[in-house]
Amino acid sequence: MQGEQTSPSAGPPSVSITVEDRKAVRANPPKARADALNFWYGSNQALKGINLSIPEHQVTALIGPSGCGKSTFLRCFNRMHDLQPDTRYQGSIMLRPDDINLVGAGVDPIEVRMRIGMVFQKPNPFPKTVFENVAYGLRLRGVRNRTDLAERVEGALRAAAIWDEVKDRLSDSALALSGGQMQRLCIARALATQPEILLFDEPTSALDPIATAKIEELISELRQHVTILIVTHNMQQAARVSDFTAFMYLGELVEVGATSMIFTNPGKKATEDYITGRYG
Amino acid sequence: MQTLEQPPSATPKPDADTGAVSGPGPAGDPAEGHISKTVDQSLVDLRLRAVAMGGLVIDQVASCVRALVEHDAKLAELVLSRETLVNAYDGQLDRDTLTFIALQQPVASDLRMVRAIARAGLELERIGDESKKIARFASRAAAQGGHDPVVAVSRYLRHMGELSVTMLRSAVRALDEADAGLARQVLARDRELDAEFATALRQLMSFVMQDHQFLKATLDTVFALKGLERMGDHAKNVAEQVLYMVGDDAESGRG
Repeated sequence: MQGEQTSPSAGPPSVSITVEDRKAVRANPPKARADALNFWYGSNQALKGINLSIPEHQVTALIGPSGCGKSTFLRCFNRMHDLQPDTRYQGSIMLRPDDINLVGAGVDPIEVRMRIGMVFQKPNPFPKTVFENVAYGLRLRGVRNRTDLAERVEGALRAAAIWDEVKDRLSDSALALSGGQMQRLCIARALATQPEILLFDEPTSALDPIATAKIEELISELRQHVTILIVTHNMQQAARVSDFTAFMYLGELVEVGATSMIFTNPGKKATEDYITGRYG
Repeated sequence: MQTLEQPPSATPKPDADTGAVSGPGPAGDPAEGHISKTVDQSLVDLRLRAVAMGGLVIDQVASCVRALVEHDAKLAELVLSRETLVNAYDGQLDRDTLTFIALQQPVASDLRMVRAIARAGLELERIGDESKKIARFASRAAAQGGHDPVVAVSRYLRHMGELSVTMLRSAVRALDEADAGLARQVLARDRELDAEFATALRQLMSFVMQDHQFLKATLDTVFALKGLERMGDHAKNVAEQVLYMVGDDAESGRG
């Protein structure tokens, strides 16, 4: 991991855990790496020189107060900002293994979004059937064969742990599902195109605790197949689901480290103050 | 079973002779500064309760040693009667820390502080147990007009008692003030106590070799010395928790 990562000498206790986590980092090379990433909304600089590696097949959580730039950072990965006028990127987010710069000028945002899926705060299924929601991205990619489509839709629904609940309702409108089911359907939709990175922007803030627990469990399982980056306001959620936690403040990356360390003995006082609820 | 009815902030601070505590925490109290004043208050209350328990336990240690070397049956009885109070403190601290964790879900320095307080409570309770055992022996010895083996090592008993009290006082104060330097002093002094224990044992062995009739009393005296030595270990553990709490020692977080 890059950035101002907490070193073992800076944060003493829980050393044994940290060492294990560091081994895990070594075992998982970065899937993507932001280098000196700056971003502007008009003249307002929202991201300031972010350096952060996202380890493959791990969950990295971005935490920080509102307006710190965590969602802005997340949205750089799939070029969501391109939909807004007068925005500007500088620096790079290199995606492995082919080393393309996701925020580079010559990169097609549509192609980027095929490889990097996103799940939003509010479940946003298309006003179509359950089946068509998941098949949508596949059709865009040119999958026409019905058997193929059916197989891949089922695979995605199973991966999103919602197959058993919707297998008899594939032709029903997706809008008839519960909030938690809709969110898992959106995850299935994102998974269908087999993305390499999945971005979650506050995925459970509109859900009840049971639906939240299901999504969190799902995130834990999904990391075996996909690299996950999650923005959450819920500190305990970051603690529960992530392997690494990055704390951002005022557009800067303050600290990144193993989640077990950040939540027991963070290296920076600003991190400590934020997670213990001392920000005035 | 005695109970603790008064809130911890109203608990009388231990006196200068026995206690460790004085006044509120220093400026920049590690328990304070939260947006939620409830969290501030809960952490301060927990710590004050642990410190009040420390004051009581310090007095138990000083009293049990004095009861033993001065054949003071009444003082021994006082120690024994107060054991339930020590246990009540421990039980209350245990419940309060658990409740705090469940309701506030502390992390980082708050989590370390709660854990340090909970574990310090456990160590203090064990010191209380050791005091109780020594007080029982003191009670039996006093009933028989004192035991020769005790007299033979009374100087060591006194000194070890003083060392234990000093260590414990520093450990509790370190917990109260989140003072790593003071906690380190406790760790260093434990060796002194261990050495004193070894010397006292040798002294006692030469005594019992000269006169076998006091074998039982000698064994009891050994247990008393060992109890004082263990108290030092527990005081050391409290100090290690303080170092863990302030994030100042790589070894202290373990186990």
